Amino acid sequence: MTIRASIHHQNLDKIFYPESVAIVGANKVSGTVPNDILMSILHANFNGVVFPVSPREKFIAGVKAYKYVIDIEDPVDLAILVFPSSVCHMALEQCGKKGIKAVIIISAGFKEVGGAGIDREKRLIEIANKYDMSFIGPNCLGVINTDPRTRLNASFARKMPEEGSIGFLSQSGALCTAVLDYAQAKHIGFSKFISFGNKADISEIDLLYYLAEDEKTKVILLYLEEVSKGKQLMLAARDIIQRTGKPILVLKSGRTSEGASAAASHTGSLAGRDDICDAAFEQSGIIRCYDIEEMFNRAIALTYQPAPRSNKVAIITNAGGPGVLTTDAAIMQGLSLASFNETTSQLLKKHLPATANTKNPIDVIGDARADRYNAALSAVFNDPDVAGVFVILTPQSMTEIEDIAKEITVVSEQFDKPIYTSFMGESDVAPGIDILQRNKIPHYILPESMADAFATVWQFEQIKQKEWFHETFVDNVLFDKAHMVFTNVNAKNQTYITEDLSSEILQAYRFPLPQMKMIQSQQEALNVAETIGYPMVMKVVSNDIIHKSDVHGVTTDIRSPEEVRLAFQTMKFLMEQEAPNAALKGMLLVQQVEQGIEAILGIKHDPSFGHVMMFGLGGIFVEIYKDVCFKVLPITEQEAWEMVSSIKAAPLLKGARGTNPKDLAAIVDCMLKLNQLVIDFPQIKELDINPLIIHNEGKGCHVADAKIFINLQSELQSKKSKEKQ
Amino acid sequence: MTSTETTERVKKVVAQVLKIDASEIGDDSNFIFDLGADSMQSIQLVAAFEEEFDIEMDEDKALEVQNIADASSFIQSYLS
Repeated sequence: MTIRASIHHQNLDKIFYPESVAIVGANKVSGTVPNDILMSILHANFNGVVFPVSPREKFIAGVKAYKYVIDIEDPVDLAILVFPSSVCHMALEQCGKKGIKAVIIISAGFKEVGGAGIDREKRLIEIANKYDMSFIGPNCLGVINTDPRTRLNASFARKMPEEGSIGFLSQSGALCTAVLDYAQAKHIGFSKFISFGNKADISEIDLLYYLAEDEKTKVILLYLEEVSKGKQLMLAARDIIQRTGKPILVLKSGRTSEGASAAASHTGSLAGRDDICDAAFEQSGIIRCYDIEEMFNRAIALTYQPAPRSNKVAIITNAGGPGVLTTDAAIMQGLSLASFNETTSQLLKKHLPATANTKNPIDVIGDARADRYNAALSAVFNDPDVAGVFVILTPQSMTEIEDIAKEITVVSEQFDKPIYTSFMGESDVAPGIDILQRNKIPHYILPESMADAFATVWQFEQIKQKEWFHETFVDNVLFDKAHMVFTNVNAKNQTYITEDLSSEILQAYRFPLPQMKMIQSQQEALNVAETIGYPMVMKVVSNDIIHKSDVHGVTTDIRSPEEVRLAFQTMKFLMEQEAPNAALKGMLLVQQVEQGIEAILGIKHDPSFGHVMMFGLGGIFVEIYKDVCFKVLPITEQEAWEMVSSIKAAPLLKGARGTNPKDLAAIVDCMLKLNQLVIDFPQIKELDINPLIIHNEGKGCHVADAKIFINLQSELQSKKSKEKQ
Repeated sequence: MTSTETTERVKKVVAQVLKIDASEIGDDSNFIFDLGADSMQSIQLVAAFEEEFDIEMDEDKALEVQNIADASSFIQSYLS
């Protein structure tokens, strides 16, 4: 933990559980942020003392006001700054002098507006550092703590939400108010509700750790517009899930390039590539959600009900069609229908009419009243094969909507198995839904959402059980040899490493490369060809040519000395024509490897998550289907195997339609060597092995072409010093 | 006009616009932080200074001025 993180850890309790709060910049004007925040605190029955601080008012809402925060005689735990941004630093400085350690800065006009706003935000950070203060914001809605011990609504949200077990963190303040309104309609409660704005000081990572320790929070939801410290977020999430078993659901906007651009202008942030974000979240156990409804559908399942012990569900419905829809949705989500034992079958037959379907999905028939639902529920809950129950209701003239909802509530309390409901419709079923929601029975408009929520909880159970391995190290490599190449390239101020030198690096790390040699003349080519043997490939090598095939710089399938001569002369001529300014280092003669499946294995450096490995099959698979997978480095051997299996074209590698299975172990071996290479040489900015030719099982694979781009050491050092600042 | 005279007239205008006692206003008083001016009053202050001193100021720059001393210097630059 860094020093600042440790300070935040100490100060965060003062933000959520203060005994005294100063609203600095308060006024009497109803409908303004300073006044509304003061009123929110007063109306929420805050269990503490409130001090309005206003340059001009003596009293606000009957509460004595102070000109300056330093005028308050009593100690103050939390200050909420609502002054315009131009004077926030003055208020914060006084808070520091007063000894206040926890601050929420609501005011906007900082990093998000650029220019002078960036400097104003830096000034706040400097003051906070000087006094060991921690602040949330600026540019935020504020925070809410529903814990009855405190009941703090330090925000300008319209209402105090119900008490609950969901901790909600949001980078967007406006989204918070929409979420509060949405949640109120569904009786969804919160433990803590936090808008963290520009996260200039306290970040989402500090808040995640706080909620992890918060006994009132069972499930953590996070809305992010940018991931600025991806690696730290991953480590925090994995640590929290492992230690506390609390799920973390993240809604990350900016999925499209247009959306990312909007997010950047909105918060002054830089968005990373979305599929890398997906991979990183999956690697760290974060449940990624794609809209608010999906997030809350899953959150209520995780919060309200016990986790299922398996993926087997029983479906109870009073209508055939919805029963089929639910079955389809369940199967599509990887769930399966439970098989009832004899006792359950007998009970169902005994209590349901002859026309009812007593097999799963159970159809209690359209005229079913509460007693039939009760009988079916009790029977299936007792069945050992049933891990959870889906209850569907459609409103017929005789359907006892409210009674059935009450019955579900009563029966579910008797069993330690989850129950999810879908009362289909809107107007007629509304009173029943209200009963379910008030009693914390998850309700879903669509069976698909119900199945998704169950599957999410079940998958999270698997994540919790997952054994997290440490990264796999490869030690039989020639570090010094590779180091020498990197040093020489760096000394020449080159950022592109040509194929001959890239191959030297990869050879040092024991990658499977075909025989190859650089030549300078036609005669040398002929001599070397005898050593390497036919068929072979000839490639031009130049620091100025990155894409060799664009300048006809590659000739394959050379099978005789005559073809060597022809290739040499032709390529030299074409080079002079098509790239007259390129300095030719020579030609690379490479043994032509046997045919196999072509794959791409690469590394890129992501600004949020650091080095990321990419794997996919070549040709149309990558170009048209974009069938690639990513993992954030470092990876474990287990994750390398997951990469190989997770591409859609994996069946081709495993041997589909009578073809031989390919050497998957050789791919994994290359991945782990690549992982090690990047750990040892973090200056690698981009590395492409394209193609990696994969042979049949037991025959290995070959690197047929590779290129590496690096950051110069001087650039890295200047970047590091900027980060330190 | 001396800078002291300008400052005193600035204080008088501020007291009138913000409806506060001139004795509460110091040379370093910040319009917002110390005197509680809101955004509307900041604009009113600029207009009142222009009228008082019969000058026309760059409004954007005038709104950046935060305290009495700076306002006095800013106005002086138009008077000289």
